[in-house]
Amino acid sequence: MTAIPAADSKFFNADVETMSRADLEALQLERLLEVIPFAYERAPLIREAWEAAKVHPRDIRTLADFRERVPFIDKDAVRRFRDERGDPYGGLLCVDPDDLTGVGSTSGTTGDPTLVPEMWGGAGLSSPSIITRDLWGWGVRPGDYVMLVLFTFRGPTYGLFQHSLQTTPILFDFDPAEMERFCELSLRYRPTAVYNFGSVLINAVKDVCDRRGFDPRDVFSSYVGVTFAGEPLSPRARALAESWGVPLYEHGNVGDVTGSFECVARDGLHAWEDTVIVEGIDEDADGRCELVATALNNRISPLLRFRSDDIVRLSTDTCACGRTHVRMWPVGRKSDEVLVDGLSVLPLDVWGAVESVDACAMGLFQIVRTAREVDRLRLRVGYAPDWSARLDGVRDGVQAAVLAATGTEPEVELVPNEALLRLGPPHKIPRVAKS
Amino acid sequence: MTAVDAAPLWAVGTYADGHGRPAPWEISHDEINRDIGVATTVLTQLGVVGRRVLWCSMLSQAGQHWPYVCGTVLAGAKLSCADSTFGEAMRVSMFLRLMDYDAVLGVTNDLLDGLDASGRAPADVFAGVRVLGAYPGAYERLAAAGLTPTRVALCGPAIAIGREPAGPAFVPAAEWELVDLGDRVGITALQPRATSFIRTPIAVRGTIVDGGIVPVSA
Repeated sequence: MTAIPAADSKFFNADVETMSRADLEALQLERLLEVIPFAYERAPLIREAWEAAKVHPRDIRTLADFRERVPFIDKDAVRRFRDERGDPYGGLLCVDPDDLTGVGSTSGTTGDPTLVPEMWGGAGLSSPSIITRDLWGWGVRPGDYVMLVLFTFRGPTYGLFQHSLQTTPILFDFDPAEMERFCELSLRYRPTAVYNFGSVLINAVKDVCDRRGFDPRDVFSSYVGVTFAGEPLSPRARALAESWGVPLYEHGNVGDVTGSFECVARDGLHAWEDTVIVEGIDEDADGRCELVATALNNRISPLLRFRSDDIVRLSTDTCACGRTHVRMWPVGRKSDEVLVDGLSVLPLDVWGAVESVDACAMGLFQIVRTAREVDRLRLRVGYAPDWSARLDGVRDGVQAAVLAATGTEPEVELVPNEALLRLGPPHKIPRVAKS
Repeated sequence: MTAVDAAPLWAVGTYADGHGRPAPWEISHDEINRDIGVATTVLTQLGVVGRRVLWCSMLSQAGQHWPYVCGTVLAGAKLSCADSTFGEAMRVSMFLRLMDYDAVLGVTNDLLDGLDASGRAPADVFAGVRVLGAYPGAYERLAAAGLTPTRVALCGPAIAIGREPAGPAFVPAAEWELVDLGDRVGITALQPRATSFIRTPIAVRGTIVDGGIVPVSA
């Protein structure tokens, strides 16, 4: 384990976090040349993909070789291998199943979750880089209380908070009903960080504060970092949090390989490139590209050139915070886009409009995407229960607001907020539904 | 047993008090380590060594569940986790479709509602599961579906787990004692803990039998 640095240290691991680009790429190449033959020899899906592309590990000697020659895989390929071959690990497992200590799973936002095999003891991650470096950078220190507002399906990841960071977690479900307790314990324990928050919870905090007479600025006064993840904050939730002085930081996935976090400069999300190679493919004129990730430290089921379906912008320029690792700016998910008479619509395009209608202030909605190209935008929108007698007016309001925001008038199906919240995974609802 | 000075804490968990309200629960490193050892023994006695175990729980219950999550691995079993919510029925059924599980522990009414909503019959989803631990409400539904569930109950800061279908559920006897308070159930900690529990009323309702509990659904 990396030693805890001095409390006034800006970085948890300065040598790695500020490593020069040349040194970082040399380290990546060294690790890549270990993981490639490891995966090729053991993971049948990787082997098949490489053989189909007529590429062998001996062909890869440089990062340029890697980028030019190594074939992509994606989640559909993993699911297809799993279903066709009866291999629950989708052709990615590189160890004897008997040696696993557990099997976790991905969130399942885009469909059936896929399995994440695990071995306690470090074969998945060789350093406490994820979360630890990031929260340290915000100012979280040993002895602090940290609010953990999470799910359990990733397995016992929260051990990181006790061990790597030496903080004390306060445990919550990702559930609006937990926010009264969240406010009470924030005032009692004065924690310094939240992992993880979201728009629905921020709206719930407002309701609790209104009802209980708490000052939300006081509730959040001790925090140095409040991270949100799973989906962007809605405009309304962000405005609320900013008005309370909440130090927000965005957190995202890096292609099922690792995570990324904003730093104090809040100019993109850092991914730790000593653990992952991040690429962008199919870049458009605006610099938007699909995120592709390769695991460097995973020796259980390493993903090589995994297409994430996430649209991002990328930069390897040194950040104002001093870190040299790649930054990304999430734009959306490729498979979330619908074309309505040729007009591109993403969830973020309608979000602000939906939550501008009072009954729908929680911002709960889904785009019903029966096909990528449709004649009319269809939305399923959640409403607060006390509006149930006035739904015609609510529907009219949503239609008008979305028309104004996107240029297309949607067909709107209204459902109670609770019906959408139940769809989980709890930190986000699927923003796109097939039916 | 009185409270001990335990800073820094392992975590602040929560338990449902005698009125069913969430109460904060400070947990020391010493007691969680002790609980992990006890949970490992409980799971070993359930016979899950070398097999797969799926725990259904919520993060707010990690003070109660973490010892069993760790204990699963320490007992030599393979661990999987899911939340115990309506939406997580999809994940639970995915795990059980792809792999054989010897034990699924922590089935709730919400999970069964989620299975129902997705057209998955519990008798099919849980077929082949040897130890099917279910909370009050879910226990009765699974039994009505022809399965042979084992009782699981959150007893404030502890989990009670049955040793056999139809039998009472037991909290670890070295650490906790369930007490009959007349109109409700209480719990007493038998070892030092950061939070004091002495005949503390808890939310679970039921009858104490042989030191265990036969809970009733609310």
